[in-house]
Amino acid sequence: MTDDAHGTRQWAWRAEDDPARVRKAMPTPRPSRQTISLKRAGAAALGLLLLAGCAEDKPLNTFEPRGDRADGIYNLMTPIWYIMGLIFVAVIGGTIVLAIKNRVNGDELDPEDLPHQTHGNTRLEVGWTILPGVLLAAISIPVVANIWRLEEKNEPGQLDVMVIGQQWTWSYRYDVDGDGFFADANADGKVDEADEKFPLDTALDPDDVVTQNEIVMPVGQQVDLTITSRDVIHSFWIPRLNGKRDAVPGKFSTWSLQANEPGKYTGWCTEFCGLSHARMRMDAMVLTEADFNTWLENQQRPAEAPDEATDPDAFAGRQLFINQCVSCHVIREEPGPDAIPYAPDFQANLKAGYAPDLTHFATRSVFAGGIYSQYEGRGTDANDDALNAADYVKLSELSKDPQGRDDYRWNTAELKRWIANAPAQKDMAPDDLRGMLPFPALTDQQLDQLSAYLATLD
Amino acid sequence: MAIIDKPLALPAGEPRRAARPLGVFTRPKEQSGISAWLTTVDHKKIGIMYGSAALFFLLIGGVAALAIRVQLATPNNTFLSGDAYNRMYTMHGTVMVFLVVMPIGAAFANFLMPLQVGARDVAFPRINAFSFWVFFFGGLMLNTSWFLGGGADGGWFNYAPNNGVAFSPSHGIDFWNAGLLIAGIGSLTGSINLITTVLNMRAPGMTLMKMPVFTWMTLVTQFLLLFAIPVITVAQLLLTFDRRFGANFFNVQQGADPLLWQHLFWVFGHPEVYLMILPAFGIVSEIIPTFARKPIFGYPFMVFSGIAIGFMGWGVWAHHMFVSGLGPLSVTAFSVATMFIAVPTGVKILNWMATLWGGKLILNTPMLFSIGLITQFTVGGLSGVSHAIAPSDTQQTDTYYIVAHFHYVLFGGAFFGFVGGVYHWFPKAFGYKLNDTFGKVQFWMMVVGFNLTFGPMHILGLQGMPRRMQTYDDAMGFNFWNLVATIGAFILGVGVMLLLANVAYSYSKWKSAGRPNPGPDPWDARTIEWSIPSPAPSHNFDTDPVVTSLDDFWHRKYQEDENGVVRRVHTGEEIAQPGNGEGVHLPAPSYWPIVLAFGIPIIGYGIIFNLWLCIPGALVVIGALFGWALEPADDLDAPGHDHGHDGPGHDGSGDHAEPELETV
Repeated sequence: MTDDAHGTRQWAWRAEDDPARVRKAMPTPRPSRQTISLKRAGAAALGLLLLAGCAEDKPLNTFEPRGDRADGIYNLMTPIWYIMGLIFVAVIGGTIVLAIKNRVNGDELDPEDLPHQTHGNTRLEVGWTILPGVLLAAISIPVVANIWRLEEKNEPGQLDVMVIGQQWTWSYRYDVDGDGFFADANADGKVDEADEKFPLDTALDPDDVVTQNEIVMPVGQQVDLTITSRDVIHSFWIPRLNGKRDAVPGKFSTWSLQANEPGKYTGWCTEFCGLSHARMRMDAMVLTEADFNTWLENQQRPAEAPDEATDPDAFAGRQLFINQCVSCHVIREEPGPDAIPYAPDFQANLKAGYAPDLTHFATRSVFAGGIYSQYEGRGTDANDDALNAADYVKLSELSKDPQGRDDYRWNTAELKRWIANAPAQKDMAPDDLRGMLPFPALTDQQLDQLSAYLATLD
Repeated sequence: MAIIDKPLALPAGEPRRAARPLGVFTRPKEQSGISAWLTTVDHKKIGIMYGSAALFFLLIGGVAALAIRVQLATPNNTFLSGDAYNRMYTMHGTVMVFLVVMPIGAAFANFLMPLQVGARDVAFPRINAFSFWVFFFGGLMLNTSWFLGGGADGGWFNYAPNNGVAFSPSHGIDFWNAGLLIAGIGSLTGSINLITTVLNMRAPGMTLMKMPVFTWMTLVTQFLLLFAIPVITVAQLLLTFDRRFGANFFNVQQGADPLLWQHLFWVFGHPEVYLMILPAFGIVSEIIPTFARKPIFGYPFMVFSGIAIGFMGWGVWAHHMFVSGLGPLSVTAFSVATMFIAVPTGVKILNWMATLWGGKLILNTPMLFSIGLITQFTVGGLSGVSHAIAPSDTQQTDTYYIVAHFHYVLFGGAFFGFVGGVYHWFPKAFGYKLNDTFGKVQFWMMVVGFNLTFGPMHILGLQGMPRRMQTYDDAMGFNFWNLVATIGAFILGVGVMLLLANVAYSYSKWKSAGRPNPGPDPWDARTIEWSIPSPAPSHNFDTDPVVTSLDDFWHRKYQEDENGVVRRVHTGEEIAQPGNGEGVHLPAPSYWPIVLAFGIPIIGYGIIFNLWLCIPGALVVIGALFGWALEPADDLDAPGHDHGHDGPGHDGSGDHAEPELETV
């Protein structure tokens, strides 16, 4: 693990906080002393090699389940891995032993000295056709049960989140009022048929909230997801919480997440989606129930315009934002295009209402599709879990605390680089209306002002 | 059994020279040199050309693979941009699948299968030449995209809607469509040709259950091709219309379902997997009995498990789509079906092990590569079961675990089998053996390189590294194994190249030793292709071999004595045919296959760049078809021993049809 620029690496989940890590750290009974043979030295070397590869933290490790769905998959597979290991040893070991045991020197071969000319043994062969079949049939029973379990949905009225993939970021719409719709309902409480069909492009239901890159969810609860896409196929995957599910444009797939403990769980788009597939990340930010409710209430709060007198930079930044940025980005309750035209577009995202919603931008911990930390000041490597989940709802506050953590500072430098020339930071296709335009005309001062304005969106 | 059981022999004594109609060219007469290769219809030369073309494309695909590994050696590497990386991995996959592994299978099928069934050539020799040339030109055309705006960038699976013009505006995917459509014509005509050959042109006495396992696997493979290629052709035509002519088959904006592409692609793509591995299964099923010096264990099980794989391969395609939201019922059905396809594959592995059991194994290079296939394919088979289990697959699909899996199957399995096959049949093709020590060095280098490259990918995938990633972050913990894989890839690259080095080395040794002939049967082998001289003469068999049993050649060499002990009664040299082609009549070479094949990519370029270009392309195609149709069935002016009156033994008795019957 490398330290950051200040040499202060802080862990959100210290070993003592995390039962799984505590378990690992507990001393194991010491084995009785044995003479060290060459074999043991070899095994030790191999072990060291494996450790070198495994000792680091693996934020995406599928063998560290932290939620009930991932646990289910893990527990289903554990005995199967052992069976496979046995077959592996038997077949490969058997083949190698046979090859070594039965080898003869071809140059000194007596052509008359033939081995026994067996042509086969029907009983044996029927046996090893049926036996694997029976084994597989036995395995398939828990497998099928698990397939159906993964599809189980919550009772109605629980938290429902729509997950929308687009090149190259994820956004999340929370059906807070529980009306079952992510879209704006009409006065009579009904949603237009067209809105229902394409809920991606309509104005948001005023009670609902939308966030970007990080799905924020309460600990312990199952959160149902409706996964779709605005352009190409993406795949939503938080390995420590659940397997993946594709985001297919025009289709709405259901999936769910549940986490046993608060924390930040990293994910990565896993269906090839074009230029910046490698830079399309997502996280699940799991909060305590109280923190989650604080977060949700804050998200429903309208944005406050900065005051010219007390914060002139942010005020100027807001003017810039209203003049330029709103042609693609939305900040709810702030001025923007009068109406976002209802024209579902599955091919471009460089247009009004399609770019990431920046309402409450400063409450998020990452930006640019999850590749940069908004607060950590380290630039890249947004996917480590140095962020303390308990701090998540007060990040903006903590960033201004002079006594606070150095790596919680507002990441102005990276944000300015991003606004000035996003395509230089991340492969994208602004000429084809996908991604974000470069803004070479913005001066450094203007970039500072924009950054100051965005920092007020908490 | 044969459909064609009587050749259209001219009555004896009648002059066979007909007046040549206006506009009909003579057939080419060259016996050697480049133009002989360009116009040949000899299945052996065509097989060798398939193999050479595959090696050429292997270099391209291999360089792309190494570029990918260099990019991924360290985190946040900038060796390749996102765009360049996407093109590189797409072309790597496409080239390796369509232009390397498939044609190597075709090379063995072409070279070997007619020899194994005792035929003079394939059923339609000119179509065979056409199949090769259209594959080769299609492959070349696909690769010209490197210079004409960049290769395809949608992945070899090329999912909709990312393959649409909106998301991939460059011509890469158009080349992908056109090149593979054209190469697919070759696969389709080739499959019809080879199926006809197996079914109609076997030597007298060779019933289906006396066919060598390799021929059986070729037959299954060609049936898979015959039904799979049309599906991908449909998908690619639809996509071509979408991209070039504004159709909306995959346009979500107009209500298309992008999963249509996935279904079409994988209904093709999964049988494709089996048609890549089955030829290699056939090859090792020939090599292992030869060098274990005992028959294949459970021949009927080997055959029927191959057929079962061929059938079951059609019922499992949606396991590539477990996470696409098919619904639990479909996922259950395909998950269980996929798990059970492990059964016939397991039978093959166990039967090979049983063949090794109690054998006297000569561990030369072909045998080592065969054992390499058994062990490494087993790893791929086991990882295959782990993602047949759909819940587990939701964690594994689109990660490096899958990359590890299919490289263990296709590289550690198919490609190892192919290299073993090259070592085994090299003397039959070229008249000298490859150096065995050199071969063993190559084997161990490939084993080490291969397992260092792809073994760690299992770990990377399970640790959550997705596929098709241009780069990754330091904090993800993928650094170590990626570096190991890159080192392994270079060792593997050198190992593969050692094959060419061995060919050059063995050739110069052989030349300086005065070109000694290895004899017809250098391995004391089992099947009838070893009963003719090495290299195989252009007419293959002097007289039709009459087959009485499975492994017929072996049983003519070794017979039970009165005590029931198997004794050698003849050496291979004693009973081999002398290679005297006197009186044998062979199909004459032809210009038209290559001309026809050349015209088709011109139409392809026309569809991509300018429709007017289709006109000269179409003219070449139509002209070539006319020339082909009007070409005399054979040219009596042609020199050489290949022509003359049919000798005894070629009167069409038995079900061995004469190749001169070729009418198309």
